[in-house]
This record gives sequence, C-alpha cells and structure tokens, in this order.
Amino acid sequence: MVRLLTAVEKGLMLFNSYPFIFLFLPVVLLGYFVLCRRGDLAPVVWLALASLTFYAFSGWRFVPLLAASIAFNYTVGYLLIEKKMRSEWRLAALTIGVGGDLLLLGIFKYAGFFAANLDALFSTAIAVNIVLPVGISFYTFTQIAFLVDAYRGHVARYALPHYALFVTYFPHLIAGPILHHKDMIPQFERADSKRADPHLILCGLIVFGIGLFKKTGLADGIQPLVSLAFGQAAPSFDQAWIGALAYTFQLYFDFSGYSDMAIGMSLMFGIFLPLNFNSPYKSASIIEFWRRWHMTLSAFLRDYLYIPLGGNRHGRVLRYVNLMITMLLGGLWHGAAWTFVAWGALHGAYLCINHAWSHFAPKPGLRLAPLARLAGFILTFAAVVVAWVFFRADSIAQALSILATMADPGHIVLGHSEITKAALIAIYAVAAWCLPNTQQIMRYDHTNRTVGEHFRDVQMRPWFLCASAAVLAFGILGIQQHSEFIYFRF
Amino acid sequence: MARAFSSEVASGSRKENASKQEAGASFRFNRNGKGSSPAKNLLRFLCASAALLLCAAALTFIVDPLQLFRPARLFAAMYSSDTRMQNAGLIRSQPFDTVFMGTSLAIHFRQSDIDQALRVRSLKLAMTGTNSHEQSFVLAAALQRHPKRVIWAMDDWIFCDGAEIDDDIYLPADLYRRNVRGIAGYLLSGAMARESAWILARSVPPLERIVARLTTDAVFNFTISDVDDINAFRPDVEAPYDATRATAAFAHITHPSRRAGLSEGYDYQRMVRNFENDTFRLIADHPDVVFDIYFPPYSILQWVAMRDASPGALKIVYDLTAHIGRRLAELPNVRLHDFRDVNEVTHDLGNYADVIHHSPSVDLKVLSWLASGTYLVDGAAPGAALERLKAQVEAYQVEAYQVEADRIAR
Repeated sequence: MVRLLTAVEKGLMLFNSYPFIFLFLPVVLLGYFVLCRRGDLAPVVWLALASLTFYAFSGWRFVPLLAASIAFNYTVGYLLIEKKMRSEWRLAALTIGVGGDLLLLGIFKYAGFFAANLDALFSTAIAVNIVLPVGISFYTFTQIAFLVDAYRGHVARYALPHYALFVTYFPHLIAGPILHHKDMIPQFERADSKRADPHLILCGLIVFGIGLFKKTGLADGIQPLVSLAFGQAAPSFDQAWIGALAYTFQLYFDFSGYSDMAIGMSLMFGIFLPLNFNSPYKSASIIEFWRRWHMTLSAFLRDYLYIPLGGNRHGRVLRYVNLMITMLLGGLWHGAAWTFVAWGALHGAYLCINHAWSHFAPKPGLRLAPLARLAGFILTFAAVVVAWVFFRADSIAQALSILATMADPGHIVLGHSEITKAALIAIYAVAAWCLPNTQQIMRYDHTNRTVGEHFRDVQMRPWFLCASAAVLAFGILGIQQHSEFIYFRF
Repeated sequence: MARAFSSEVASGSRKENASKQEAGASFRFNRNGKGSSPAKNLLRFLCASAALLLCAAALTFIVDPLQLFRPARLFAAMYSSDTRMQNAGLIRSQPFDTVFMGTSLAIHFRQSDIDQALRVRSLKLAMTGTNSHEQSFVLAAALQRHPKRVIWAMDDWIFCDGAEIDDDIYLPADLYRRNVRGIAGYLLSGAMARESAWILARSVPPLERIVARLTTDAVFNFTISDVDDINAFRPDVEAPYDATRATAAFAHITHPSRRAGLSEGYDYQRMVRNFENDTFRLIADHPDVVFDIYFPPYSILQWVAMRDASPGALKIVYDLTAHIGRRLAELPNVRLHDFRDVNEVTHDLGNYADVIHHSPSVDLKVLSWLASGTYLVDGAAPGAALERLKAQVEAYQVEAYQVEADRIAR
C-alpha cells in the first residue's frame, strides 16, 4: 500500500501565535539592533541563526537538509562566479546545481505522488512515506534563481553569512514571498538597515497588524463555511457556491495576510520585501490577475521558466504552448496532486484564451470600456473561483462533483443558515473588491524603499493611530489555538 | 572576518546604490531633525494597542462567559454547545455530586432526568467524538471537586489511539489546568470578548428581549440560557429516530467503498493500553468515588455491520470488552452495567437515528436500568452478557431487500 504523508511537524512556530509575537520577534529584534552596534557581520549572523531556530521549530531534522542545500548552492554559485571556467564547464556546473535542487524537491515533494501513480497504473504496491519539509519549495526556487543568474554573469560573490541569511530569512522562509538575491542581499549589506528606525518599526507593526487581522479575523472566520462545499455531506447549489466563495476569500486573506505579516516584520528590521498581492480579485482579466496574485511566484515563473522556454519570441502557437507548460508546472509546484495540475492547466487555458482574445477581438470603444471592464471583472472572478475548486478539492472527482452542483440550480436549500452565511460572504466580497489594500494604505513602495511617508515626521492622526492599533489588537485577540497558514503545506 | 562586498554587477546594482543613498539621507533626517515624532507615534501606537487588549481582557474577566472565575451572578448565565470548551467552566461553576461522561451517545441526556432518576445532583460532561485521553483528562479535572459518583457511558472506540492531550487541538487543556497560558488565551480571546459584550447587552433589561431574539449560533457560541438544555433536544424539534434511518446508515457503512472505516483505529494492544492508562488508573486512583460504568445499547445493526464487513474489528471489540469486564471486576468501587444485549431496545430499530445513536426515550430507560441495577454485570460471571450478545449477533438476519432499497435510495 502506498502512503504519501506530507504533514508538517506539529511544533511549527506560527506568525499568528503568542510565543512568536510576544517572545520570538521582540527578542530577535532587540538582539539584532544591539548587535548592530558591534559591526556589520554580527547582526547578519544573529538573524541567520534566529531564522534557523525559527525553522527548527517546524522540525529540527530538516535543519541539516536546509543547511546542506545552502552549502551546495553556495558552492556551485561560487564556482560559477569566481572560477574562470570554459562555457561547457559552466553549463555543467549549472546543470548539476539546478539538477541537485530539483532532485531534492523531487524526492521530498513528488516521490510519493510518482509512486502512487505507478502503483495505480501497474499495481507496484511500492510504499513511499516522506514528510514534506516546510518551505522546501520556496527556498529551492530562490536558490535556483541565484544559480541561473550566477551562470548568466549577473552576480558577484556574496559572503556566506549574507547568502545564508538570504535563503533562511525567517519572514519569508516558510511560505514566501519568493525573494530575489539581487533585491535582498544588498539590503542585508546596507549599514542603514542596521539602525533601529522608529518610523519603520511603526510602519512594520501596522502592516504586520493588518496581515494578522486578515489571517485571524477574516481568513479563520470564514474557514468553517468552506466545508459546506468541501465537507462530507453532498452540498446543494447554494451551499456549493457559498463553500467555493468562502474558500476563494479564505485563501486570499490567509495568504495575503501571511505576506503582509512577512513584509511588516521585515520592515521592523529595515528590510523591504517584495509585494506578493495587489488586490487580485479586482482584476478584469486573467492576465491582470496573475500580475496581482502571488506576484513573486509569477515573476519567478516568468523569468526562469516562461522566458527561457522561448516566451512569446517564436510565434503565437509556441507562446501558448509555453504558457501551458509554465502554468502546469506552476500548478505542480503547489503540490503533488492531479488537482493542482488541473488547476494549473485551467489557468494556462485561461491565459491562452485571454491572449487570443486580446489579439483577435475588437477593442471596445471609449464609451463601452467601463462595461467591458465590468464584464471582464465578473468573468475573471468566476473563472478564478472555478479553478479554486480544483485547488481545494481532495480529488478531481470531488472537484467535478462540486462544479456540477454549482452548475445545477435545481436543488437549493437557502435556509436561515445559508442566508446568514451568504451575507457573511458578501461582507468579505466588499472587503476584497472595494477596500484599499495594505500597500495603498501604507504607501509601501518596494522599489524606492519608502513606506508611510505621509505620516513620517508628523504626529499621526489620532483616528488613524487608533484604527491601526485596533487592527493589531483585534488581530491578536483573534488568535486561535492552532491555525496554520494554507500555504505552509506548499 | 568575512565581509560581503556590494555584489551586483548587473544594472540593478546602480539602482540599489542610488536607493541606498536616498534611504540613508532620509534616516539621517529622522535622527537629526524631527526624529522624536516617529518614536512618539510608535509609543502611542503600542500604548493604544495594549489599552485595547486590556479592555477586551477586562471585559472577558468581568463578564466571564465560561464562568471560569465565578458563577454568573451579575450577568445572565449563558452556555455553549461546544462541550470541550464549556466543560472547563461547568466544572468550576456548577454544584454537583455526580459526573456523567460519555461520547455523542450520552450527549443528549438531560441533567434534570439524571437527577430525578438517580436522586443525585449531576453534571453532564459528555463530549462528541472524544477519545479516552480526553474523557479521562476532563474527568480528572472534575474529580478535583470531589464528587461521590461517576456515571460513564463507555464506548469501545474511545480506546482507539488519539492525540495526546497537549497535542489535541480541539480540547483547550490549559483552560482546565487554569495555568497562565490557559487564562491568557481565555482573556485575550476576541471571540470571548465578543461573547462577553453580547452577554453584557443581554443583561441590560431594556435590551434583553431583542438581544435574545438576535442571538444565533451562526454568529455566537454562548446561545443556551439553561444548563439543562446543553445539547439536549428541544421539545419542538422532531426526533430523527426511525428504522429507515438506521437501515440507511447500515447500508452506508457496509458499502464496499466505506467498510474499511469500521475497523479504522482498532488495534487490540493499543486499545488495552489506553484503557489501562486512561481509565483503569483513574478509577483506581479514586477509591472513594463510585463508578457506574455502562456499555451503551447500540442497535444490533452496528454489530451485524462489523460481523459482515469487518469481523476482525468485531473480535477486537469482544476481546477488549471482555478484558475491561475482568479488570473492572478487580475494583471494589466499580459497578459495570452491560446494556448491549437488551434486545427489546437494540432490535427495535425505531429507537435509532443511525446504527448506534439512540433516542431520548432510551436515555430514560438507561437511567432507570442504572437506578435499578437490572443489567449489572455479575462479578461471578462477567462474560455472560457478552456471550448473550455474541449469540444475538450470530443469529440476526438483516432484511436484505430493505437494505438494498435504502442503498439505492442513497
């Protein structure tokens, strides 16, 4: 019998937990700024060690794996950057480096999936039981990007502590954003980020508070509704839609909340992380959606998969093929299951249709543009919800069954409970569609390294201060005993 | 000392350097110019957050929806159907001399019925889907209040392996322990603060009626105003018990695609170990407390389902309960009642909502049997009831046409 076990260790330290907020983060922050007075290297080493400690809570046995991965990639990177090798040797080094990373990912993430499919096809009865190391997809991707850039000659040598911190940096280690070495390591080197700046700490706290509230107040609040569609009982038409929409908003507030928390706590250290979300459900096309959803993954797939495959440089047909390949692999990156492959395939198809429409369809006139945008918005949102059903379902069969129910208005319950839950969904929809996002509220500019300039050096307006303090307080009050982020399992 | 040098050789490096200079200028301005404003803003922000947290904690402490610190006097007492959480407060706030424990099979009993039938002052602590770790842990907390008697509806499957108490995400163990984590988690819970505010509003006479009408379990946890009503059926709710449901459930669980579920978690050695560690030890440690333990009257279909679809699990249950019977007979403070072979109940499928969950009328019968000791296991022949059950299970014939009809209907 084949068993694939991809659970995370139970000791995982969550951002949304009292020990992290009231103990780990303050101690690391304090230690960082104390050590900053003792030179440039000590705080970097401190932060790297703190990050490894943080990671060890998710399973100490994976710390050597992470350390080995860093050592391996740093060594290959060193060879590519420092040694004057012939081009074929450089290519060989890159192949070994990227191949090693993919092999690691393949063993820990896909071996069970592969074995299960072999078993299904040939009744091999091979048992594969591997625990998925937390964050492996994220730290593997960041290092592949480093190796490719080193091969391209876009990187000079980094010191090992800075490189190790870039990979392990705890705000992003578990679930992203996927960082780029060009963006991060210069910030770790910068002297200015090693002085406590009350403005950045305040802005970081506010961003962290917004993220925490998104997670504990919004995502966790709507989570029980998801089981209406994805639970044991067969749903009715309205229950299936409520459950699918609940998951749509839960995933967004959960993951964007996590990203906000990562950005916020990093700001406290004076480090600007890249944005990961930009109100994706406001998109009027799938192309726009992918510019707003999980932006660091989209950028990675574009720069290190889609463009190397040829991108749009070899005609329309090959462009669509490249899009499909990119999205299929993007789906598979999320997890070793056919449901993720189906989700990726669906989005690949959406993107192909969207590009074809942009090319062949007539452009709407100025008067019709708002109407076209509204139609695009509705269509995009509906398409995204349909795809999320595959993303969340336990199997393709379950996804198809739920979608069939969503398409069949013949069986509607719409009792008191369903009406109350539909009203709750409407509140979440208003929040996702109408409210400004975190970076708009805070005027967070990752490119220019600025945030909250509108209240720098002036006394903050009392209403804004109280509102932001309330958001943090409500976020803390919403902490439940144990509530993992959805993206931890990827 | 290792030293990193500014590393970019691509075009991005110049941009980075430029931004470094800009950012640096801004930092210097802060520190040398009006540098105190951000620090003051930060301090105000932290104070405001802390003040809000304290207000919420104070509200929860004063109203105390779980009645963890004191029984409700100033405010209306309200209760939740989430028994794993609610029991922590009930143990602290309710007067009782008898504890009633069990799983979902025991959850619909009314305390008033128990009191009347057995002439006791009872506290129902039954919890849906609990395992022996959870039941023993909660019972141990209740036994600190020195009750005279424990009535324990003992299902065999509670001894299947479950999470240890500190890894159990459903049971707030620290609330029972009343340690710092438990109390802090309670006071700093936004859900508790929300419930407190609602209870507070409900305690204001002009608002009482409208708040009571708006209280819905879609939004609130503490919606029950009488402790006797916790998880008990309301008289106006139609009872979901009939033979069709029972046979439909039988068809469901014996379907080839689901029958593996019947034996899930059944491992004789582990179950015996859990019985010894969780149950036997707890009872032996409290010789001054009388334990009335009973095996509940499942419908005969439960046993037949195991007989037909999972005979291995059925043998484990037989062997386990025989072991339990022998071991409990060693303890002078235990009275074991076995209702599994009471065929006037177990063979009447109209008493059941599925193959195990019996109706409130059977609840009353169970209480009367406990009071009279009709089905008390004889210490001289502890296996007699089990042998009768085995004979019944062996002989029972399921009406195939009815099961098939239910299977098709589902």
